[in-house]
Amino acid sequence: MAYAYLFKYIIIGDTGVGKSCLLLQFTDKRFQPVHDLTIGVEFGARMITIDGKQIKLQIWDTAGQEAFRSITRSYYRGAAGALLVYDITRRDTFNHLTTWLEDARQHSNSNMVIMLIGNKSDLESRREVKKEEGEAFAREHGLVFMETSAKTAANVEEAFINTAKEIYEKIQEGVFDINNEANGIKIGPQHSTGGGTSGAGGAGTGGAAGGGCC
Amino acid sequence: MPSSDSEDFESADEGRNSPSKKERKKRLSSSNYSDNLEFDLETKKDAPLAKSNAKDVAEAADGWDDFDIEEEAKPSTKNITEKATVIKSDTKPTGVINTNAKSEIQPEISQDTGWDDFDDWGDTETACNIKEDQLEPQSENKYSNIKEVTERLASASTKNEGWGWGWGVDSIFSTATAGISTLTSQVSQGISTVLETSIGAPDPEELARKSKDIHSQQTLSKEPSTEKSQIDSSKDTHNNEGQFPFGSLISGMTKFVETTGTKVLAGGLDTLETIGKKTMEVLQDGDPGLAKKRAMLGLDSDDKPVLSQVLREAKAKAEEEDRIREQKREAKEVHYESLFDDFEGLVHLEALEMLSRQVSMRIDERLRSVDPSKRQDIKETLQQVAELCEMPDDDEEEELEESGDMSKSDTLHERLLASTRDIGLKMQYQPLIKQYTDTLEWLASDPNLTEKAIYKRAVSSLAQATALSVEVYHKTAEMLLVKPRRSTADEADALTQMTVVLTKHISDIATLFTEKLNSITSEDKEQVNSHITNIFLEADNSSKYIQNAFQLALPIIQIGAV
Repeated sequence: MAYAYLFKYIIIGDTGVGKSCLLLQFTDKRFQPVHDLTIGVEFGARMITIDGKQIKLQIWDTAGQEAFRSITRSYYRGAAGALLVYDITRRDTFNHLTTWLEDARQHSNSNMVIMLIGNKSDLESRREVKKEEGEAFAREHGLVFMETSAKTAANVEEAFINTAKEIYEKIQEGVFDINNEANGIKIGPQHSTGGGTSGAGGAGTGGAAGGGCC
Repeated sequence: MPSSDSEDFESADEGRNSPSKKERKKRLSSSNYSDNLEFDLETKKDAPLAKSNAKDVAEAADGWDDFDIEEEAKPSTKNITEKATVIKSDTKPTGVINTNAKSEIQPEISQDTGWDDFDDWGDTETACNIKEDQLEPQSENKYSNIKEVTERLASASTKNEGWGWGWGVDSIFSTATAGISTLTSQVSQGISTVLETSIGAPDPEELARKSKDIHSQQTLSKEPSTEKSQIDSSKDTHNNEGQFPFGSLISGMTKFVETTGTKVLAGGLDTLETIGKKTMEVLQDGDPGLAKKRAMLGLDSDDKPVLSQVLREAKAKAEEEDRIREQKREAKEVHYESLFDDFEGLVHLEALEMLSRQVSMRIDERLRSVDPSKRQDIKETLQQVAELCEMPDDDEEEELEESGDMSKSDTLHERLLASTRDIGLKMQYQPLIKQYTDTLEWLASDPNLTEKAIYKRAVSSLAQATALSVEVYHKTAEMLLVKPRRSTADEADALTQMTVVLTKHISDIATLFTEKLNSITSEDKEQVNSHITNIFLEADNSSKYIQNAFQLALPIIQIGAV
């Protein structure tokens, strides 16, 4: 399908915080309470529209297990956005954020947009990490913060789309070199489906194509 | 003869300001003017063709401009200098023309006297007459005519510049100049000389230089120069010898000049037209439609767009674009690479590449850090693993018999599991098996499938089977990397066997679809054959992807051994 840009995302965080569930909710709009442990990396993709442009989000959902850490680290490279997820009902997942963040910053490009996500906001009664703590951590490390629920879908769309918007803004500001694929951004294939003449080397193909994802 | 002409008019035009004369002048000028207009119109009408024409005429205009030199010494000098800078054409003046040029410039030195115009006339009597004309203020009208022509031509040349004429187009100039010189010999006698003078266009730079030289000379020694000119003119213009003293000459010359001027003008305009025509002939010689010269000068349709043409072209372009877009849309539906991408084959391949690269770096690092004595051992081990992973030749592959009551997809599952029995991992082949089952069911479901539907499904099935296969390699690589106890030889053997099975699977899918295509009755046999060819091509493509994935997995197998 035709898209103006493709953004590569990675989802990182401790095992069991709901990374794969967030992805499933975003791509398939459904929730699966029991989920196989992710091996290495799994993929998801969805088309979104920002500023009238079709953008394909290609999401790399990494395994949270410690055993896969060395593997998943090699996947950070070339990501434009990262969702750093913790579980609000498990303080240890919050405590590990610093390690995850260091890992992400070390193995990805410096312009990567990182969104901090406190998941399982539907489980208010079991909350161990206050929202303010998440906000403070995000503020301290220059991240965007949001509490989500993969189960109720609360803020799930927003988390993915706001990240994309921020990446898009960085492209507009010229922070991202879109021609360098190491930045996790690819310009869409040049077959125009809509009708607009595709701008040479730039803002991309006319995006009148019906969206949907694979 | 000028002398007789002069005498004729002396008697006829005694009353200098007689109305009849004015009338005649008016008539003359108006007719001339309309002639000019006609010429001008022609120039425009002939569009680009006429441009080259106009250019050559513009050259002639340089000649005409020479009149200005005598009319107003300083400004015209400036004019010539300007021309000199503008025109860089290689119109090499002949010796004769050179002297002409001299003779035309020299008069201006002693313009004060008004009489020095006669110096150096010698060779061109007619030209001499025209120049005399300047002495008579009343003939200004005619001069304005000439000036008009000149200006027109000059402006035409300026316009031409604007249209992208380069002045450096020597070859056209020389062709045209040569052509016109030939032409002039065919034109009426008296005029030809004028034209020769004017068309011969002495090197403007030289002209300018000379005029400048002479001008400085003039300021230095005005008297001697005047004297010299007087001697020259008395020697050369025999008819004026007796009349040389001031006074009497003026009246005599006026009439003489007027008629001659008229003749020259009338004839000159005709000549210009002839020149125009002749120029076209010369230009078009061996170049019908001026195609080459226009191309050379860059006079494309872009220069002068015709609206209808533009619209026609735009329409044709739009239609072509629509057609291409439709083709692309259709092509995309059965575009293997984009389908492969949609089935996540590309992203799995990308991830596998990243792993492979990272592991390769780790191997290299190990080789660097290890004791040199052990380095060779490690290299040998790596080589051995690589050899284990070499694909067996196709010939060695014995055709497995269809296992009786087992379905095709179960057979595939069985073979895959058998190939990777010793790998030590729990392999997941379900997606591949399910896809195969679905494909088989689809092929069996509808007996009235169209060739296009079969083809589309064939490409899609191949792309999906390949994507799922690549995913298997990717997953296997990941699991191998976290596997606690490695058994390199088994892993290498297992993945090699698996690759054989998967490659076979791809060709089975291709065969299924081509058989289906062959079984249907289609009027367009050619299209069916083209589809079959493409299916085999995509199957080949698929096999390459699979083998590429296998090669990417090699370092991951190797690292287990070192």
